[in-house]
Amino acid sequence: MNKLLDQIRENVTQTQVWKSIFRHGFPSNDANRALVMFSNVILHLHPVRVRRGALKIKFTWCLGGLTFFFFVMLAVTGVFLMFYYVPDTRRAYNDIKDLGTVIYFGSLFRNLHRWSAHAMVFSVWMHMTRVFLTGSYKPPREFNWVVGVILLVVTLVMSWTGYLLPWDQLALWAVTVGSKMAEATPLVGNAGPFGPELGMGVDNDVRFVLLGGTVVGQSALLRFYVLHCLGLPLVMALFMAVHFWRIRKDGFSGPL
Amino acid sequence: MNPGGKKESPQNPQQQQADVSRRRFFTLMGLGIGWGGFAAALGGTSVGALRYLFPNVVYEPPTVFKIGKPDDYGVGVDNKLKKERQIWVVRNERGIYVLVAICRHLGCTPNWFDDQKRFRCPCHGSIYDVTGNVVGGPAPRTLWRAGVSIDPVDGQIVVNFNQRQDPDPKGTDEGLMVDEKSREVPPFFLQV
Repeated sequence: MNKLLDQIRENVTQTQVWKSIFRHGFPSNDANRALVMFSNVILHLHPVRVRRGALKIKFTWCLGGLTFFFFVMLAVTGVFLMFYYVPDTRRAYNDIKDLGTVIYFGSLFRNLHRWSAHAMVFSVWMHMTRVFLTGSYKPPREFNWVVGVILLVVTLVMSWTGYLLPWDQLALWAVTVGSKMAEATPLVGNAGPFGPELGMGVDNDVRFVLLGGTVVGQSALLRFYVLHCLGLPLVMALFMAVHFWRIRKDGFSGPL
Repeated sequence: MNPGGKKESPQNPQQQQADVSRRRFFTLMGLGIGWGGFAAALGGTSVGALRYLFPNVVYEPPTVFKIGKPDDYGVGVDNKLKKERQIWVVRNERGIYVLVAICRHLGCTPNWFDDQKRFRCPCHGSIYDVTGNVVGGPAPRTLWRAGVSIDPVDGQIVVNFNQRQDPDPKGTDEGLMVDEKSREVPPFFLQV
């Protein structure tokens, strides 16, 4: 019996398919443990060696990891919402209502998306607060701090663009107010410093480009939808890749 | 003396063995609860996610609809409902039946050629006669006929698009044929 099992194991683990997936032995020695990290696309983002102190939960509170967890959560639940949501001013509100009352587990997915979004904004701020308080933004990590600030801004813009999509009163006026603020942008806003002098008006400034028009209407909904589901997540993934790569290169700034 | 550390070895070795097995019991129980809970959560969300993909309400044209009174349709093939309802209303000497305008080859919409008295599919060239029999091309079965009835209140024809007559055809020299008499039965035929 044991011989048969050994034979089966042999037949499975000695195939080219198996060997092409698992490229190292069992992680029972340092070399294989390092290979586990090196040869796995997810694990290789983590430094191979971390100082004992930096692994203490009280040092990082896992806030960066939590932020990434919420991002993955948002990506997955967002794809599910996209199966039912149509960015059409005549349909959007009803589609959201359907998600809440008609579609099986629709309100679950919508609320997971909504609460993960809130939690992500919160955990990004907490993560940055932690990095500031532990002085982890100091050289050689100042580059990654700036990448992190960009990620914070993209996170906030993601929140804002997602806010419009339910197309209810809250959404409409929040984006009306938010885009009105964009008018005050220096140089490129029609109410900002040097804006009018540069020829900015309501129909050619930064708000006009953002909304695809002069009012929050169908083109604004479509632009926000595309930015929310495609443009900004791509930008975010790019900067996250850089962010994680720098953590790997610079190491954790744990207490010695 | 030794907080959090190992217990001093007890005098009785039997008791020591009992301690170890209890620890092992709780370890296994903890692992069972932990992994079991994880598997349950994963299974639950997978089932939920799969169920989510089956909509409870679909925004599609109705499958049961009225198409007017029998007197509105003269002898021959009526092409006017093809675009809106994907059907042809056909009247012969005996009554009215409704053909579903879906090619039985790969689902395109055939066209009615009144001069040839043929339905011809533009996709792969299937040809049907006025009864829906296949007289050419790759179609493996005859055209569906939809369920029809008369509304007792207003006398209109009610079509049930999803109620389909689909008899097994016989292969002949002219094509795939079905005995017409066997097809002209309720609920797929109106004797009017």
